[in-house]
Amino acid sequence: MGFADHFPALIVVVLFIAAFVSPLLFRWVEKATAPFVIAALVAALIMTTALLVRVQQSGPVLYHMGGWAPPWGIEFKADLLRIFILLIVISVSLWIFIYAVRDLKHELKKEVTGWYYTLFALLVGSMTGMALTNDLFNLFVLMEICAIAACAIISIKEDRECLEASFKYLILSAMGTGCFLLGVAMLYMATGYLNYSLLQLELVETLTLYPRNIFAAAALFIVAFGTKAALFPLHVWLPDAHASAPSPSSAMLSGLVIKIYAFALFLIFYQVFPRELLDLIPLNEIILWLASLGTMFGSIYAMLQTDLKKMLAYSSIGQIGYIFMGIGFDHNLALIGGFYHIMVHAVTKAMLFMVAGVIIYSTGVRQIKDLAGIGRVLPLTMLAFTIGSASMIGIPGTGGLISKWYLSLSALEIGRPFFVLIILASSLLNAIYYMPIVISAFMHQEDFQFKVKPVPFFMQAALVVGMFFIVIFGIFSKPVVTLLEQAVISLF
Amino acid sequence: MDNTTVITVLILIVVLPIIITPIIFYSSRVSEKLRNGLAVVTTAITFLLTLSLYPTIARGGVVQHTLFEILPNLEISLRLDVLSFCLAVLSSFIWFLCTVYSIDYMAKEHATSRYYPVLIFTLGSCQGIFFAGDLFSLFVFFELMSLIAYILVIHEETEEALKAGYKYLVMTIIGGLALFFGIIIIFELGGTVSLGAGEIIQESSLLALLAFICFLIGFGMKAGMFPLHVWLPDAHPVAPSPASALLSGIMLKTGAYGLMRVIFDVFSPELLQSSGWDKILGALAVITILLGSAVALTQIDIKRRLAYSSISQLGYVLLGLSVLNNNAVIGAVFHIFSHAFMKSTLFLAAGSIIYMTGKRRIDEFQGIGRQMPVTMGCFSIAALAMIGIPPLNGFLSKWTLALGCLDAQMPFYVLVLLISSLLNALYYLPIMIPAFFELPGGSNPSGHNNHHDIKLKIKEASPRMLSAMIILALCTFFFGLTPNNIVYALSRLAAAFLLLGGTL
Repeated sequence: MGFADHFPALIVVVLFIAAFVSPLLFRWVEKATAPFVIAALVAALIMTTALLVRVQQSGPVLYHMGGWAPPWGIEFKADLLRIFILLIVISVSLWIFIYAVRDLKHELKKEVTGWYYTLFALLVGSMTGMALTNDLFNLFVLMEICAIAACAIISIKEDRECLEASFKYLILSAMGTGCFLLGVAMLYMATGYLNYSLLQLELVETLTLYPRNIFAAAALFIVAFGTKAALFPLHVWLPDAHASAPSPSSAMLSGLVIKIYAFALFLIFYQVFPRELLDLIPLNEIILWLASLGTMFGSIYAMLQTDLKKMLAYSSIGQIGYIFMGIGFDHNLALIGGFYHIMVHAVTKAMLFMVAGVIIYSTGVRQIKDLAGIGRVLPLTMLAFTIGSASMIGIPGTGGLISKWYLSLSALEIGRPFFVLIILASSLLNAIYYMPIVISAFMHQEDFQFKVKPVPFFMQAALVVGMFFIVIFGIFSKPVVTLLEQAVISLF
Repeated sequence: MDNTTVITVLILIVVLPIIITPIIFYSSRVSEKLRNGLAVVTTAITFLLTLSLYPTIARGGVVQHTLFEILPNLEISLRLDVLSFCLAVLSSFIWFLCTVYSIDYMAKEHATSRYYPVLIFTLGSCQGIFFAGDLFSLFVFFELMSLIAYILVIHEETEEALKAGYKYLVMTIIGGLALFFGIIIIFELGGTVSLGAGEIIQESSLLALLAFICFLIGFGMKAGMFPLHVWLPDAHPVAPSPASALLSGIMLKTGAYGLMRVIFDVFSPELLQSSGWDKILGALAVITILLGSAVALTQIDIKRRLAYSSISQLGYVLLGLSVLNNNAVIGAVFHIFSHAFMKSTLFLAAGSIIYMTGKRRIDEFQGIGRQMPVTMGCFSIAALAMIGIPPLNGFLSKWTLALGCLDAQMPFYVLVLLISSLLNALYYLPIMIPAFFELPGGSNPSGHNNHHDIKLKIKEASPRMLSAMIILALCTFFFGLTPNNIVYALSRLAAAFLLLGGTL
């Protein structure tokens, strides 16, 4: 085996190594820490790109840890969809990290910054692992790492609010992982396998023998991943956690972490459970309705918020609803829409949290009503907010429209135009709470009433990158969509 | 011109204003003169470029070109045919005049460094709407224009303007979502949204009806169709006058244009008539005409009265589209031209009055005709055209529309047109008569011994503002004198083209 054959494992390993080395490095050569983590992320990105080229040439790549083939060893699988998710996770993390380096100097105590880098790299590493793994128990382990890292990057600020929020998150997330483990146990009991591919083959037969076991496992998985991904009505932990965390953490959590769980659920539904299961229980109907309710209620709750970051957090609940809709429609166009939305929302919401971070960094303002007139003093930041809002609403020329296009198209394709109305209604709701902020930021008659610190170059540059990609996703979307079409076609 | 040149020109027309926008924005830091000059030159070039497409149109050319694909089967494309040419030429012409007018009008105003870039950007997106080759591109440019025009609406930044702007924005978003729904249904049913594909929807179904209603909501909202007109009387008057002229004169027409495209290229007149959907449009048009005129009567603010009048006038266009025969469609297209000339004149004249005297209320207008004879003269010509007095263009469009209605055995519609003309007279004449025949302060001249002795100082607006108005008023006159004019000929060409299904 050549060096390149180990890429699937190395992507995860490089990030974990970065996680363990960075606190040491922070103690000895403080200045080199951030570049070191960036280097690790870039290395992971390069390896993922290489993997993408290989998968496009010769189909999915399977990697056996330590050379042990399943069912004994852990298997990593790299197909187009997983690599798509990997690319999003790593590149968005890289982008957030570059922003975070400056923002953290302001938000965190200096001693803990090294630890923050550790947690960040651990979080990214576990997410890449979750995207790659083809083994349920391995998924469980990575979920735990991810949950703990996520809790820690919330509570690292050490104020009362953060601790409370991360405790709430820890409890609910532990409940989620508990459910997941129970579900895995049930599947293992019925089949004796943990590997996705083997399970799928085996479950076709087992379904007739132990249907209850498998139903229970499916229910447990919905609860487990629903909690972790903040699927309505299991979202209660999210607003506090995402709003109180330092802004880069909020960007990571809202932009990436909740989506990786949605992706894990998708993999289990499409690559573990056999299609026959859907004939017995309407799993996708359940997800579809919960998702629809989420898109509406997330927006309605968001309207009632007075704190900017809380509003963005509630908006994430609405937006994750679109992604679950993509899974729930059970149609290839819907999956394209859902996955496209994973990408668009990752960039958009991360950028919006960065905007919130810049505002807090520069002026200390968090309340929405205090933002009146801020567009005059921070024009670039508020322009980014405007473009982000436009993408959330789904204005043409932004990425948000494309995902809504595919979701609506598939709703029509399966003959249920009602869901198009839901998508449109929630877009309107988004407009209702995002637009007044933009308007009052630019058009308020009096001047902005707080002191303004200049915004560092890197933070502004990060916002410009975000805006650029949101517009690119809205206009030059064809390459990504073609990639997704190829990826999704193998599932049906 | 061969096709590649035409395509290059088309791209230039749409892209040039949009890329000039940032240059104009930054040039205002150097000097205001440079910025104003750039804005005027850009609109002039856009107008000339659009005009240069005339030879292609005259020999009946249709050009359709795909720029790039956004999604598989969904592209950004451009299209030139006689209808798009008509509207593009009209819009760039009026844009040019309004920009010239703006230079002096906006000199006193605040935030001009924001006004001009937005004005030019809207021109680009407006031309984009008219030259869009498929519904999706049309939708993209339509939303772009509507959203950017928000900045024109709230330019004054008063509480009233912000409130009107918010209403406008919410309605725009609702309209946009409805359009999105409509387009996606068409895409689902027909597999394409290209305007060059001919009748995409050939048989009526529930989904097709839903799409038609969505288009009615989306485009009708922009055109001020009842019951979606509620934003218009608030939004148009609060904008600066040249912007109101453009909002009422041109941007309103984008809605009518969209409906034309939908009726003729997505559905077909036969389908509409056989399934009875034209009745929906007809009923709404009648209500819009009567309601707009009736409410205009009750308005005291001059610009609000003009805005309500726009609602009713766009109703004529919708009426022509619901009747769907040759004369009616000629009338509809010609009325788009007529109304653009008339309403821009009226708004520019009203703007000059507000600019020079600060008076907005109609009961304060006594004697203004003596102070500002040229302005009020232009106003009167346009207002008489609105009422439909021959030989002005408003008469010609009403005549043709009425002929169309009679051809379709719909004398009731003719009655509606007549009632609305009467109402027009009722709300325009009380502006003009006191302006010329009464004295400032409201006293009746006949009460004085010799009112000719009272000399009023003539205080006209600047030559630039006047010339814009005069040119527009002359258009109102010339294009109504006989039906043998270029605009009428273009309208006939467009109607023939549309009714024959684009095979000309």
